[in-house]
Amino acid sequence: MTAPPKHRPRNGGRIVLLAWMTAIFVFLYLPILVIVIYSFNGGRNLYVWTEWSTHWYGEAIDNPRALSALLVSIRTALINAAIAVALGVFAGIALARRKGPWTIPYIALIFVILGIPELVSAIGQMIWFDRLGIFDGITRLSIGHSLFNVAVVALIVRARAEGLGESLEHAAADLGALPWRSFLDITLPLMFPAVLAGLLLSFTFSFDDVIISLFVQRPGTSTFPIYILSAMKAGLKGDVAALAVMMLIVSMVGIAIAAWLMARGGRGKTLGGLLG
Amino acid sequence: MPRWVMAWPALAWWTFFFIIPLFWIILYSFGSRPSAVAAGPVSLEVLSFDNYWQALSEIFFRVFQITMRTAGLGTILCALLGFPVAYAIAMHVPQRWRSIFVFLLIVPYWTSFLLRTFAWRIILAPQGTLSDILQSLGILGRPLLILDTNAAVQLGIIYNYLPVMVLPIYVALERIDTSLIKASMDLGAGPLRTFLQVTMPLAAPGLFGGLVLTFILAAGDYVVPTILGGTKGLMVGNLIATQILASQNLPLGSAMAVMLIGLLAGVLIVAGLLLMTAQRLLGLLRGAPL
Repeated sequence: MTAPPKHRPRNGGRIVLLAWMTAIFVFLYLPILVIVIYSFNGGRNLYVWTEWSTHWYGEAIDNPRALSALLVSIRTALINAAIAVALGVFAGIALARRKGPWTIPYIALIFVILGIPELVSAIGQMIWFDRLGIFDGITRLSIGHSLFNVAVVALIVRARAEGLGESLEHAAADLGALPWRSFLDITLPLMFPAVLAGLLLSFTFSFDDVIISLFVQRPGTSTFPIYILSAMKAGLKGDVAALAVMMLIVSMVGIAIAAWLMARGGRGKTLGGLLG
Repeated sequence: MPRWVMAWPALAWWTFFFIIPLFWIILYSFGSRPSAVAAGPVSLEVLSFDNYWQALSEIFFRVFQITMRTAGLGTILCALLGFPVAYAIAMHVPQRWRSIFVFLLIVPYWTSFLLRTFAWRIILAPQGTLSDILQSLGILGRPLLILDTNAAVQLGIIYNYLPVMVLPIYVALERIDTSLIKASMDLGAGPLRTFLQVTMPLAAPGLFGGLVLTFILAAGDYVVPTILGGTKGLMVGNLIATQILASQNLPLGSAMAVMLIGLLAGVLIVAGLLLMTAQRLLGLLRGAPL
């Protein structure tokens, strides 16, 4: 192979790469933009653009079934997030501060939980809840959603704890603080951004979940995404798009705040940590 | 008290609500459908491999094949589309902007899967705007008819899992010490040789992670084929869900779920072996002139 010419314009490749990157970002955001625009389509047929109108938003808000599904989703997401934080924070701190032979299998289990097809996990839970006799819809949904989110919170908190190092805890110990004291006064407050990020992500992931909900739900406790899914199957109208956009806003806000907290607290390491 | 006692509550929670249910799926997959509905969803009196034989003998086998093809092709296309994006962010975007781009990449992935997939129904609709544009430009002689086919499922899979591919590759590329690349160039290796022999081997773990993760998630997907595939674009995910939710055949659905997990585990093992071989080959290649 011949050596490249010395005066090769090095910017050529760079421009092509950046253009490609931009095109892919447009591809990623285009559908989201489309759904927002079409939710304002006043026509009877969602696909055929006729005129700008907020008509379907009124229709969507006026729908008692959608509202009750929304309430189920919010309650589920809150309980799930409380469980995820309560269990995940301690697991995350232990993973960063109490390393030992147990850490590797423990993290392996976390990756199995995060990587297993949700469908399989959902079937197992459906069977197990029925066997245990847990028939309360919200309980089933909250537990089902929490399994994934405990793992998410554990990884976020672990990344934060590792990023900060242990010097403050050591200093507290040197100054005579008891271990529980330094845990309550130093470790937990330092974890706050990660805890808040984990809380928001858990809420969002639960709020968006389809598969676990589809299997573990009980009659009368359909979540919001399940309502949207069944409305879609029945035939797409503008109110589904309007509901979808409302749902999108909730999750976008949650994610934006969570990502900002993680980027601020973990110097970018958290995102890497969450991805392995 | 053991030092890691703080990690126990989560472990107990996962054991009770995640690991135990997996064993129930395996047990149910050997059961049979009770003759009377009143007897519950599954009879465990006689355990047999019947469900597995049934799964292999009927259309399920074909759907398994289609799923593997869709997920495999989707994974490869995601890698081809996504690698340059990860490279551009890691190498050509100034440091202080990088986390913003990563953020922009994650936001669509973390927002509702359902909605992003649903949006494609609007875009691809035969009477929709894209279809109209393509027809008026003369590219298509008839309305766009890819909804409810395998092609739409393929597109949806690529769209949904692209960020899963890009992020691990980005993380690996971002960690590369750029002085290695400069050193390689200074020592006379061209850009192509530097890319193949310095950058690629260092990015390989990230690429491998992206490939495996994308494939696993795509192969187990339910939402994309349900929304975009109609009756023609079935994947294993729908098939299993249909068995359990619509046909009330929990034993057969469980057997298919076990087979899906087994197949994915097999793919993981083969991929791991391939990676090891590839690294050995790359090691041999590194000394060779290019």
